[in-house]
Amino acid sequence: MKPELNTKTRHKILNKEKALKSHPSINRALANKFFGHFCYVSILILCITLISIVLFIGKIGIQTFSEVSLKEFFFTLEWSPMEDLYGAGTFIIGTLTLTALTLVIATPISLIIAVFVAEIAPLWIKRIMRPLLDLLVGIPSVIYGYLGVTILIPFLRDIADIHMGDGILAAALVLSLMILPIVTRLIDDSIAAVPESYREAAYALGSSRLQVIVNVIIPSIKRGIITAIILGMARAIGETMAVVMVIGNVAQLPTGLFMPTSVLTSNIVMQITAVQAGTTWHSALYMMACLLLLISLVLIYCVRRIRSKGEEGL
Amino acid sequence: MIQEAAGKIAKRNKFNDKAATILLWVLGIGLSTFICMLLYTILYKGLGKLDVGFLFRLPEELDEGGGIGPVLFNSFYVLFIAMFISIPIGIGSGIYLAEYAPDNKRTAAIRICVEGLASVPSIVFGLFGMVIFVDYFQIGLTILGGGVTLALLNLPMLTRVTEEAIRGVSNELREAAYAMGATKFQCIRTVVFPAAFSRIITGISLVAGRAYGESAVIILTAGTSTSGAMWDFNLFSPGSTLAVHLWYVQSEAIVPDAREIADKAAAVLVFVILAINTLLRGTAWLNNRRINDN
Amino acid sequence: MFKKLSAITLAAVMLFASATGINAGATQALKGKIVINGSSALLPLTLQAAKEFKTLHPGVQISATASSSIAGPQAVAKGAAQIGACDWDASMDVPGFKAFKGQVAHKVAVIPFATIVHKDVKVENLTTAQLQGIFSGKITNWKEVGGADAEIIVINRAFGSGTRVNYQIKALEDTEFMKSGKNYKEVKSSGDMFTAVKSTPNSIGYIDLVYVKDGVKAVKLNNIEANADNIINGKYPVWAYGYYMTKGQPTGATKAFIEYLQSNKFQQGTLKKMNFIPISSMKDKK
Repeated sequence: MKPELNTKTRHKILNKEKALKSHPSINRALANKFFGHFCYVSILILCITLISIVLFIGKIGIQTFSEVSLKEFFFTLEWSPMEDLYGAGTFIIGTLTLTALTLVIATPISLIIAVFVAEIAPLWIKRIMRPLLDLLVGIPSVIYGYLGVTILIPFLRDIADIHMGDGILAAALVLSLMILPIVTRLIDDSIAAVPESYREAAYALGSSRLQVIVNVIIPSIKRGIITAIILGMARAIGETMAVVMVIGNVAQLPTGLFMPTSVLTSNIVMQITAVQAGTTWHSALYMMACLLLLISLVLIYCVRRIRSKGEEGL
Repeated sequence: MIQEAAGKIAKRNKFNDKAATILLWVLGIGLSTFICMLLYTILYKGLGKLDVGFLFRLPEELDEGGGIGPVLFNSFYVLFIAMFISIPIGIGSGIYLAEYAPDNKRTAAIRICVEGLASVPSIVFGLFGMVIFVDYFQIGLTILGGGVTLALLNLPMLTRVTEEAIRGVSNELREAAYAMGATKFQCIRTVVFPAAFSRIITGISLVAGRAYGESAVIILTAGTSTSGAMWDFNLFSPGSTLAVHLWYVQSEAIVPDAREIADKAAAVLVFVILAINTLLRGTAWLNNRRINDN
Repeated sequence: MFKKLSAITLAAVMLFASATGINAGATQALKGKIVINGSSALLPLTLQAAKEFKTLHPGVQISATASSSIAGPQAVAKGAAQIGACDWDASMDVPGFKAFKGQVAHKVAVIPFATIVHKDVKVENLTTAQLQGIFSGKITNWKEVGGADAEIIVINRAFGSGTRVNYQIKALEDTEFMKSGKNYKEVKSSGDMFTAVKSTPNSIGYIDLVYVKDGVKAVKLNNIEANADNIINGKYPVWAYGYYMTKGQPTGATKAFIEYLQSNKFQQGTLKKMNFIPISSMKDKK
């Protein structure tokens, strides 16, 4: 039989245990370990999310090809699910055309504004414009779409004297406005990173400011410009809401700037609520989402390659 | 002769330079004014006609006089849920990458995942949320689904911002802490994190602003309607947000004052996002000044 | 101890009673949540009915959205909605759509559809042949049908729309819609259609009568105006029954709501006021 511990001894033992438990260094060690694990688990959650997205979307998308041949999906232009025609070529071309047009419009303007802010504007303007651009990055896409519908489309209708303002030009203009702040800020950062010594050397040789910009700065930020363009492109390709409000949503090739057309993103959002799960149409839409995912991942890979090459080059 | 030629070239250069300067000034100022005017028009058109009741009234589906009460509430509620989930995980991931990650292949793979996740278009996130919550768990379109999916959307940016902010803290601060016997956690908690705080807050404000205005994800996971009641905290109600409602009113509404409601809703949306950005950044800026002044 | 037991029993009974609505004024204690999705043609009716129903039964939450008819039975099949509003009987096969097994159709209204044009279009009447020509893309200018010299912008509903199915069968007599063109646009819901026709000059579309308001004009078909009388006496053919689809037989709040919509009071009152036609008026027609 265990000896009966009197209260005093019992208290002593309990206190010692308590003391051990709440001893600062043990607590600290536990907290430290726990925190380390927490951080690791957090990053794992991110990785698991990405892998899940690829798996889930991919699994449903791949089912398309049990009914539709690869060739038909990617290379034909007839998208009539009611007649079992699943040619996503129209949307792919639409997405590529829209992105190209957007970049053609946005890149020069971004470059000009970035050069202006970084090199030419006095400090007080810099102080206003940089935060302004940062704020603009945060404006949601519905607002751009709303501006497109309420201001841009009637404007286009008036000046071009056409019937419907919807189409690829309207969408490209809206998207350009949307990616402008991002691309501008990225180029701005690149310009700011050019060493002052480059400029001083050029001025020492008697260049005017324009010559410094054109001959020294822009060549040295080539990589930065490309990175900015690619990141802007990634944003434009994945944009849904602003595009769907102004593009007209007809599955036809954009043979004119003012023809209603459709791209991968707008088509997905327009049709996804109307399709039955498990049908080929449903899988085909997911396959289009896969395409978007793939394109985005490829673009990011390109950016990484360019960036790492740039670091090696320095 | 050469001097003349040189003089000519110099003159041409000067002319080009002046011309370019003027051109850049005009374009730069012109474009920024244009953008400001757009924002101003939105705010002016909408906020001018706004009355406080609009912010709390229920939307009317058929008659005039509807408000944006439930959707405004949902916007904040969904944002809160998304932030509640994504801030700890995002900051934790960022700290991992900045403080704990060894320089090996596994970390490289992890970084690829983070950048990959950052590049996923929002509509794909929406579809993913739909697959998980609507199809797999079969709970339909809910605020919970919207909040969680939105959190996933936010994670990569929070991670990136946190990592850069923490990397930006000078090593001397860390060494000082370690010299005093701090564990890694204590070092991060008491020294590194507060130093990186203002940049992290800027990142959070960017993410919050983006999440507040997100619509594609919400449409696919939380739906285009609300439960119809104000202050509905039920996580399983449909959760249309202000951004979605704007899209809906703009394209489909049949109430006679649809245009006005759209204008007002747009104004409120822009206003709230600007407020979130300025508020959080302003705090960060003040905080920064306090640290730097000390 | 006995007191405790009886108190507990009393509490349990009251709880049970309130949970199952067994007390005085049981209809007032009706509780539930109804999610309705589907036809945008029926949406205004659903919303108005929901509004009235909620004043009678404040414990019931109703949330209604719409995109196109196909979304209704689909949402019901997925469990995302209790009621699927559909402009056709989705429990049967319909051209272009398979039947949704296990769903029960409840007639709730007769929906009249009309051809609409932008308010500045001067044409007041179109024949079937003209409509067929316009919507198939063969007739491209308003002057060919008696209007001004301007290109016709055709606005169509996207696939899945019950309005589209019914319009194609009854107004166009099964003519194929055009699929593309520079003056052609597809929209998702009735609300979209209304906004599009209202804001696009020289446009033509089709919609159910409840949406015809300031900003668009309804044109006559073969010189017959689209209204309730002409539908009831058989002169105007472009109409369809509106259905509420439920998974199996409805119960509880869902059942009560459907019954409210089918009640004589609602049918002869609100429903008629909104330019729909009571089901009872079309008893012997298909």
